[in-house]
Amino acid sequence: MKKLFFALFTSVSFISVAQEKLSTTTGHIKFFSSTAAENIEANNYKVVSAITPEGGKIVFSVPMQSFEFEKSLMQKHFNSDKFLDTKQFPTAKFKGSIQNIEQLNLSKNGSYDAVVLGDLTLHGITKPIKQTLKLKVENGKITGYSNFDIALADYNIVLPSGKPTEHVAKTVNVTVDLNFNSTLTASK
Amino acid sequence: MKKKILIAFGLIALSVIGYVAYLWFMPHRDIQATKADAEITASVLVDEFLTDAAAANAKYLDAEGESKVLIISGEVTKIDTDQLGQKVLLLKNSPSDKLGVSCTFTAETNSQVSGVKIGDQIKIKGVIRSGAEYDEDLDLIINAVVEKSSVVN
Repeated sequence: MKKLFFALFTSVSFISVAQEKLSTTTGHIKFFSSTAAENIEANNYKVVSAITPEGGKIVFSVPMQSFEFEKSLMQKHFNSDKFLDTKQFPTAKFKGSIQNIEQLNLSKNGSYDAVVLGDLTLHGITKPIKQTLKLKVENGKITGYSNFDIALADYNIVLPSGKPTEHVAKTVNVTVDLNFNSTLTASK
Repeated sequence: MKKKILIAFGLIALSVIGYVAYLWFMPHRDIQATKADAEITASVLVDEFLTDAAAANAKYLDAEGESKVLIISGEVTKIDTDQLGQKVLLLKNSPSDKLGVSCTFTAETNSQVSGVKIGDQIKIKGVIRSGAEYDEDLDLIINAVVEKSSVVN
């Protein structure tokens, strides 16, 4: 089995205007698994995320049943209790903070590497992770991009031996792609 | 006798191939063609999740992701577009409600809501993906997520 590479490329552009919160409800997360048998890819376009520039708090909420696969059967297996058990654990969450928030000048156009440290809760298991989120500020628009690997076993996502294990890698590559809105424009 | 064995093998082989093809090419669920499991207002659905999330998950979500198809009515309080160009409408029964139901349309059904405005009353049919939640810990408003939406008249 090949290792999956996570390369989350996160480009996030911040509009630093006072202490405005940045948020999105249409974030995109893709995960990719590569093995000798086959490649599997799933996309989710319903990711909720928010960043509070003051203090650098960053959070994510991901509805697991919004991950879509090309193959219907794969999507069913993904959701089943043998894999991600999405009926029991319908939402994955991340809560953390940008460690170097003070070094990021989000009011200025540019690309910034935010160091994100926090807890990821997936399949009911919480583990600390530390990753880079590339924030990109471009004329008032802020986008975020990140790419990293997740080891399935870390979250008790264990496959029964046999066919599925040949087809799903032990680590998956996750890409996060966000378009933030500032709260001045977002309505509730 | 030999011929019969060959025919039998042939049939078995065809069945196996047919079954594998069925699995491989299994079509995705067509939500528009699926009859709704229930009709509900946005606020009632939100309240069910806020009152008892575990019970609501058990009621509305399916183990394999083929969750309940719902007809949801409410007022349009926000209009958005996701990264795929799909329209997203946020439905609440009152604009002052904290949480609502976020309904994503599809490339095929987008045109049904091209003229929709904030304040419009609407009824949509879609499949539920996750419930509404206010996560105090994260200070995050999480609206219920409904996808594959279309307008119901």
